[in-house]
Amino acid sequence: MIQFKNVTKVYPNGLCALSNVSFTIANGEFVFVVGASGAGKTTLMKLLLKEIEPTSGSIIVDDIDLSSLKRKEIPYYRRKLGVVFQDFRLLLDRTAYENVAFAMEILGAPPREIRRRVPIVLNMVGLGAKAHAYPYQLSGGEQQRVAIARALVNNPSILIADEPTGNLDPATAMEIMKILSLINRRGTTVIMATHAKNIVNAMRKRVLQFRKGVLIRDEQEGGYFDEP
Amino acid sequence: MNLSSWRFFVVHGFQNILRNRIMSLASVTAIMITLIVLGLILIVVANLDVMVDEVESKMEVTLFLKDGLTDQQRSMLEQDIRNWQGVYDVEFVSKHEALEKWKRELGDKGSLLDGYNGENNPLPDSFLVKIEKPEYVDEVIQKTKGLYYVEEVNYSSKVVEFVEWLARTIRIAGAGLVVILAAVAAIIIGNTVRLTVYSRRREIGIMKYIGATDWFIRWPFIIEGLMLGVIGSVIATGVVALIYKFLLDRSSYMNLKWGYLGIFQLLPLSDVILYVVKVCLVVGACVGALASCLSIRRYLKV
Repeated sequence: MIQFKNVTKVYPNGLCALSNVSFTIANGEFVFVVGASGAGKTTLMKLLLKEIEPTSGSIIVDDIDLSSLKRKEIPYYRRKLGVVFQDFRLLLDRTAYENVAFAMEILGAPPREIRRRVPIVLNMVGLGAKAHAYPYQLSGGEQQRVAIARALVNNPSILIADEPTGNLDPATAMEIMKILSLINRRGTTVIMATHAKNIVNAMRKRVLQFRKGVLIRDEQEGGYFDEP
Repeated sequence: MNLSSWRFFVVHGFQNILRNRIMSLASVTAIMITLIVLGLILIVVANLDVMVDEVESKMEVTLFLKDGLTDQQRSMLEQDIRNWQGVYDVEFVSKHEALEKWKRELGDKGSLLDGYNGENNPLPDSFLVKIEKPEYVDEVIQKTKGLYYVEEVNYSSKVVEFVEWLARTIRIAGAGLVVILAAVAAIIIGNTVRLTVYSRRREIGIMKYIGATDWFIRWPFIIEGLMLGVIGSVIATGVVALIYKFLLDRSSYMNLKWGYLGIFQLLPLSDVILYVVKVCLVVGACVGALASCLSIRRYLKV
């Protein structure tokens, strides 16, 4: 469960990115975070990853108050989360397989476990056949699937996706959404920041809409409303 | 950290070295030069120390006697000296023996001295006084000054003092030089690691999101620095061994050609090289690891 309680974030330059935001996300939910650029979507993601600290208010994830986390504990907290970015962030000198394996290596997984688990996850995102292709040999959609496989390989309970379809054409974007809802059906909480109207409207999931740092709408099975 | 983590660190450390070949080469060269200087200084000082020991163990004072002493006067003098504290042997060297010895030292040029045989021998008779420990030397010399029959005193403590001074000077100057060179090497290694951190920033970012601990991110860079230091020290000891072997060959060649070099023989390679390897490896590894630790603290924001 994820709880934001009266969270405000003011950046050192005075910009108020989030203003008194409160909401709760239950385990296994699929939530869209929508809003125009600068609405606070990325700040929300960064707060969840504990990349930045809120100016006031508290964030609780799976009964852990993030403000109580010590520096040393942050990596262990992040292992609960899988992260997917708009620009994929793959290692370009490694194959799809190696990119996914890398996420297990850095948690110190034994080689046998890596050899067993990586193909399963690659198959899940439909890339089993291209495991040994390098990122430059893959299309954008395929690269994003590698990134999703990498985010999932360590079995996170929450998947955070920051504009995962932002660089993809509509058809490819829909394929990525299918994979994300498949993951969600397996029990993983998915939080996705986006401003892709057609996707939000097609999925009919919970929507948190922000405008200039204020949560203006929290609706189950919502659509994407254009701001007046 | 388990075994597969350590394998990851070592593999990545090596990858870092290969990825930055030019800077790695510069680092290895810098640490290598530092350690060659260190290794040579170690060998020179080790040799000088042995030289000091050897000279000290051969503590001898030569008393040159006035001409025309009777045998009785001479044996009384000898008896007198033998009773002094610290003296363990007194050897009489006649002027004839002294000339023969000199001829032997000149080898095939000894015939030059042929004209000084017999009545023409300019050398004096002498006593070779052997002394147990260096601290008795001054006392013995003071006593000889009062002896009427002694013309001149010659002793080797000046040599010992000089060699000791030389060893001390080389140690201090060498230590200073090594510290400066090590600092330069550390700066170059630190820069190399900084470049690797820069070229890996994307990967480091991803590692942080996936939940790698700070130390997990740091270790490959520390190992990179450590390996640069170790590689440099291995090459350096090889070069030091070659240089020393060359010197040994030269010195034994000179010994063959001119009979003998002096009082001293260089230590064999096998006696010194293990010591040099140990010191260079430890210094190289420490400088490398330390340099990358400092560099990581400054440039790797984890």
